[in-house]
Amino acid sequence: MGGSQARPEQNQYQDLVHKTGFSLEQIKNLHKRFRQLSENEETIRENLESVVSLANNPIKKQIIEAFFDKRNQGQDEAGSSQEIGFEQFLKVMAHFRPPTLKTSPEEREAMRKEKLRFLFNMHDTDSDGTITLAEYRTVVEELLSRSGTMGQEAARAIADAAMLEVASTNVPHMAPDDFYEGITFEHFEQILKGLEMESRMHIRFLDVDTTTMRCGKSTS
Amino acid sequence: MLTLVLVLLTASAAAADRSATVGPPPELPHTGGEYAGPTDPLPRPEEDRHHGGGYRVVQWEWTYVQTPYVIAVWLLLASVAKILFHLSQRFTTVVPESCMLILLGLVLGGLVLLANKKQLYQLEPALFFLFLLPTIVGDAGYFMPSRLFFDNLGAILMYAVVGTLWNAFCTGFGLHAAKMLGVIDERVQANLMDFLLFGALISAVDPVAVLAVFEEVQVNDMLFIIVFGESLLNDAVTVVLYKVYISFVEVGPENVQTADYFKGVASFLIVSVGGTLVGLVFAVILGFITRFTKKVRIIEPLFVFLLVYLAYLTAELCSLSSILSMTFCGIGANKYVEANISQKSRTTVKYTMKTLASIAETIIFIFLGISAVDKSKWAWDTGLVSCTLVFIFIFRAMGVVGQTWILNRFRLVPLEKIDQVVMSYGGLRGAVAFALVVLLDGERVKAKDYFVATTIVVVFFTVMFQGLTIKPLVEWLKVPRSTNRKPTINEEIHERAFDHILTAVEDIAGLQGYHHWRDKWEQFDKNYLSKLLLRKSVYRKSELWEAYQKINIRDAISVIDQGGNLLTPARLSLPSMASRSSFPSMASRTSFAEATNVTNYLRENGSGVCLDLQVINIVPGGKVEEEMETHHVLAENLYKPRRRYHSHYSRHFMSAGEKERQDREVFQRNMKSRMETFKSGRPKRHKKERSLKKRRGSDVKEDAGDKPRRNVSWQDKDPVVVPVESEEEKGEADKEEDVGITFIAGKVETPKHRPFSVSMSPPTIGDSHLPWKGGVSSPPPCVSLEATKVIPVDLQQAWNQSISSLESISSPPAPAEPFHPRIAALPRPRAARPASYTPPSSTWVGPASKAPTLASFRFSDKSREEEEEEAEDEASQEMKPLMSPLRPPSTAPPPPPLPGPASGSGRRRKPCVYLRSLVTAPPSGTDEPHTRGPTQL
Repeated sequence: MGGSQARPEQNQYQDLVHKTGFSLEQIKNLHKRFRQLSENEETIRENLESVVSLANNPIKKQIIEAFFDKRNQGQDEAGSSQEIGFEQFLKVMAHFRPPTLKTSPEEREAMRKEKLRFLFNMHDTDSDGTITLAEYRTVVEELLSRSGTMGQEAARAIADAAMLEVASTNVPHMAPDDFYEGITFEHFEQILKGLEMESRMHIRFLDVDTTTMRCGKSTS
Repeated sequence: MLTLVLVLLTASAAAADRSATVGPPPELPHTGGEYAGPTDPLPRPEEDRHHGGGYRVVQWEWTYVQTPYVIAVWLLLASVAKILFHLSQRFTTVVPESCMLILLGLVLGGLVLLANKKQLYQLEPALFFLFLLPTIVGDAGYFMPSRLFFDNLGAILMYAVVGTLWNAFCTGFGLHAAKMLGVIDERVQANLMDFLLFGALISAVDPVAVLAVFEEVQVNDMLFIIVFGESLLNDAVTVVLYKVYISFVEVGPENVQTADYFKGVASFLIVSVGGTLVGLVFAVILGFITRFTKKVRIIEPLFVFLLVYLAYLTAELCSLSSILSMTFCGIGANKYVEANISQKSRTTVKYTMKTLASIAETIIFIFLGISAVDKSKWAWDTGLVSCTLVFIFIFRAMGVVGQTWILNRFRLVPLEKIDQVVMSYGGLRGAVAFALVVLLDGERVKAKDYFVATTIVVVFFTVMFQGLTIKPLVEWLKVPRSTNRKPTINEEIHERAFDHILTAVEDIAGLQGYHHWRDKWEQFDKNYLSKLLLRKSVYRKSELWEAYQKINIRDAISVIDQGGNLLTPARLSLPSMASRSSFPSMASRTSFAEATNVTNYLRENGSGVCLDLQVINIVPGGKVEEEMETHHVLAENLYKPRRRYHSHYSRHFMSAGEKERQDREVFQRNMKSRMETFKSGRPKRHKKERSLKKRRGSDVKEDAGDKPRRNVSWQDKDPVVVPVESEEEKGEADKEEDVGITFIAGKVETPKHRPFSVSMSPPTIGDSHLPWKGGVSSPPPCVSLEATKVIPVDLQQAWNQSISSLESISSPPAPAEPFHPRIAALPRPRAARPASYTPPSSTWVGPASKAPTLASFRFSDKSREEEEEEAEDEASQEMKPLMSPLRPPSTAPPPPPLPGPASGSGRRRKPCVYLRSLVTAPPSGTDEPHTRGPTQL
C-alpha cells in the first residue's frame, strides 16, 4: 500500500508504534482498514455508522461515540471531536491491545486501568466524572435493547439494582437523607475489581494482512 | 448393570458353597458395616436351598432378589463409604476421596479374595461403559460451563487431539524401543502394534479421574476446563486409535495396507464429528420436547436423563464417540432445557445427576481397587511398568510444553509455566484405560495380562500419587485458584458489555475474530434456534435478565441469612428514590413507577423474589415494629396447623409444601377473623358487593358464597378427582386469597403469586373458567410504590402475615367509603367481557387517575389474547416476562404517590405514612375485600 509515500509513512508508523504499542504490521493493517473506512480521507467522520456488521450491535452508538471521545484519545479535555484521524483511531484501538507474556505486572495494572477508564468514559456520556443513574440506565437499556422486548422497565430495574449495589458497596454507611450521586471512577474501579479484565477486554490484532490471509491463524 | 451383576452372581453362586463357612447372620448386609457387605449376601441362598422340602411359611427368595439386592448393597456400601470419608474434615482436605475409595476397594477385594480364594468382582467394561461412565459424562456435559468451554475450545481441541496422538505414539514407540533394548522382559510377548495399542489406551487422560481430583484441588476455571475438556474430547481419539490398532493387531501388522491408515484418519473424523452431531441432534430433540412439557412437569427431568443417555447409547450403537456425543448433547441442550423446565425440575435434574455421577464415581474407584486384588491378573514386569510410568509422564510434559508454546502464540490469555506444570501433572489415567485394557482379547494380544497389570499400576499411581500430591503442588506453585464468588450485577452487566464492545471493535477494525463469530452465532441462536427450542414464554428473556434474577435470589438469601436486618433505608438511598418523604421531582416519581413495574415482573417471574423497596422504605414507628416482631415470632413459632385430611397424594403432581400450606393457613385464619369483624360491622356493603359480583361473573353462581365455608385450599386436593362443585369452592379459596391479596397489595406486595407459582398444582377447569383466574395469573399493574431492593418472598410473606393480622387484630374497621373504585371501574367497558377481572391491586390504583384503568383494560385484553395459551398454565409465572413488555410502560406503573391528598379517595399517601396508617387503621381502599369476603361465605 502506498509505495510512493513509503518513507514518510514509515516514520509516521514508527512514531505510532511508540505511542500505541502496536506492532508495525498491526499499524499497517489498521491503517488500511482506516482508509477503507474513511474512503481514503484523512479523517473519519460519519463513516463508522456505515460498518455493516455493526448494525446488530446493541451498543453501536456508544462504541462509535467512544471513538470520537477525546478522553479516549489521550487528550485531557473532555468532549467529543467531530472527526478523528488515524492516530486517534489507533489510540482508541490501543485500549484493546492484549497483554503479552512480557508485560510486567505494573504494565498490566496500567492497561487494566486504561480499559476501565475506557468503559467508564463510555458510560459517562456527559463527561462530568460520574456515571449517574440516568446514564447507567441508558447503558443497560442499550445493552438489553436487542434482547427481545424485555424493554425499558427491565433495563431500568437492572440498572437500579446495579446502582444500588454500587452504592452499598462503596458507601456502606449512608445517612438516611443522603443519596448516591453517581459512580465515580474510583467506585467504578472498586465494583469491577473482581472482573477479570486482563483476559477479557481485548481482541487480537492480526499482524498479517487480513485481505490476503483469511484464516488468521498464522503469525508473521 | 445387569451384565456385571449376573457375572458377579454366577461367580458368587459357585463360590458360595466354599464360603458358606463364613456364615454371617442374615442381617449383616445391612448392619454389618460396609466391609462385609459384598460377601455377606452370597452364602445365604445356597444354605437355604439345601433345606428345601414341603411348604414353608417364610421362604428365602434369594435368587429372586439377588441381582437388585447386590446392586443395592453395593450402592449402599459406596454411599456409606463416602460418609465415613467425610467424617474428618481435615483428612479429606489432604487425601482425595478417590484415593480413599481405591484403598477401600483394595481392602474389600482382599476380603473377597480371602473368603473366596478367587476374585468375584472386577470393573466390568460393559457395566462401566454402559452405565457408570455415562452418568459421569452426562453430569459433566450438562453442567459444563459452556461459555468457558467454547472460549477455550481451541486449546482443548489441541490438547485433546494432538496431545493424545502424541502421547499414544510416543508411548507406543518408546515402549517398543525399550523392548528392543531389552529393558522389558522377554516374557512380554508384544510387537510394535501391541505396544502402540497399549500406548493408545494408556495415553488418554481420564475424565473420571480428572474430575475427581481437580474438583478437590479447585484450580482456576480456565485451567480446569482445559484439562477436563481435554479428557472428555480425547475420547474420540482414544476410541479410534484403539479400534484401528485392534483391527491391525487382528489382521496382523504385515497385512496392513497404506489405505488402512487413511481409513483410520477418516474413521477419526467420522467418529468425532459423527459423535458430536449425534449429540447435537439429541440436544435439539431434547430442547424441542421440553418445550411441550408444560402439563407434565413431573416427568420433565426424565426427558433430560433419557435423551442425554440415548445420545450416549446411539453414539455407542453406531460406534461413534459416545462421550463426545453425550458431552455435546449436554452442552447444547442445557441452555434451552434449563429455560423450559420448571424450577423444581431444574433442581431435580441437578440433584439426580449429581447423585448418580457421585455414586458412579465412587463405584468406579472402589471397583478399580477391587479389580487390582486379583492374582490371575498380575503378570508383573518391572521393566514394562516403570517404562510406562516414565514415558507417560515425560511425554505428557513434553506434549504440554510443546503445544502450549504453539498455543500461546494465538491465545489472548497465555498459559503460563505453572499452568503447564499443573496440566502435565494433572494428566491422570483412570477407569477408561482400565476398562479398555480389560476388553482386550487375550488370544490376539499375548501380553494382555502384562498390560492389565501395568494399567492398574499406572492408574493407581496417577490417581493416588499424583492425586495426593497435586494439591500441595498447586499450593506451592501458587496456581490461581478458582473463586466461588458469584458475579455481582455490575459485573454481569459489564461481562455482557464486553462482548458487545469487543465485537464492535473487531468489526470496526475489520477483523473477523472470535468475538465476531461468536456474535454471529448468538444472532443465529436468537433468531432461529431459540425460537425453535424455547417456549414462547421464555425465549424473549435475556440472559442478563436471568443473571439478574439469580443475583436477586442470592441477595435475598443472604439477606435472610443475615437476619433480614440489613434492610435499613440508609443503605438504599439513591437519587431515584431519593427523599421518600418529599418526592421532589417528577423524574424520581416515574422512576419509582417503573421500578415498581419491574417488581411485578420479577415477582411473577417465579423468581420468588421481588424488588421491593417499599418494605425497606417503611420506617415503622418503634411500637409498630415491636408489634410486628412479636407477631413474627408468634406466627413462626406458635403456629400449629390444624389437621386437615385431604388426599394430597398425586402421582402426577406435587402437592404444595408444608410451608406454603402453613402460610395459607395463617392467611386464611386472618382472613376469617377479619371477615367476621366486618360481617358484624357493615352489612350494607354486602349488597353492593353482591351486585358487583353479579355483574362480574356469569359463570359463578350467586349462591356459591353461601355455601358453608370449608377449609379447602385447592392445592391440597387431588386435582384429578375434583368434582365440579368443589372447583367452585376452589375458586372460593382463591377468591379468598385474592381478597387478602388485594388487601395487602396496596401496601407491600401480593402473596397471590405464591400458590400459583410455587405449587405444581394442575390446571383445573376452574383456572380457565373462573373469571378472576385470568386476572390472577397476570401481573397486577401495580403492586407497590417503590421497588428497588430485593426482598425475599419469605420475608414478604411473613411481612404480609404480620401486617394483615395486625390489622385484623388491632384496627377497627374503617368507615365505609361511599364510592368504591372497583364499582366505579367495573361496569364500564369491562361489561363486554364479564370474565375480566381486574386484579385487585389495580383497583387500588384505579381511582387515582385514568392511567391505571387504562392499564387494566389493556391488560385484560392482552390476557384474553393469551388466554388460550396461558389460562391453563398454572405455572404462569413463567409467562410474565413475555407479557410484561407488551404492556406500555406509561400505563402500567401506578401513579406515583403524591405528597398531598392527590387522589379523590384520599388514600394516596407517602408510602411509609400510608403503611403506618394501614397498620393502625386500614384506609378505605382496603376494606373492599373485606366486604366482598362475607358475601361469598
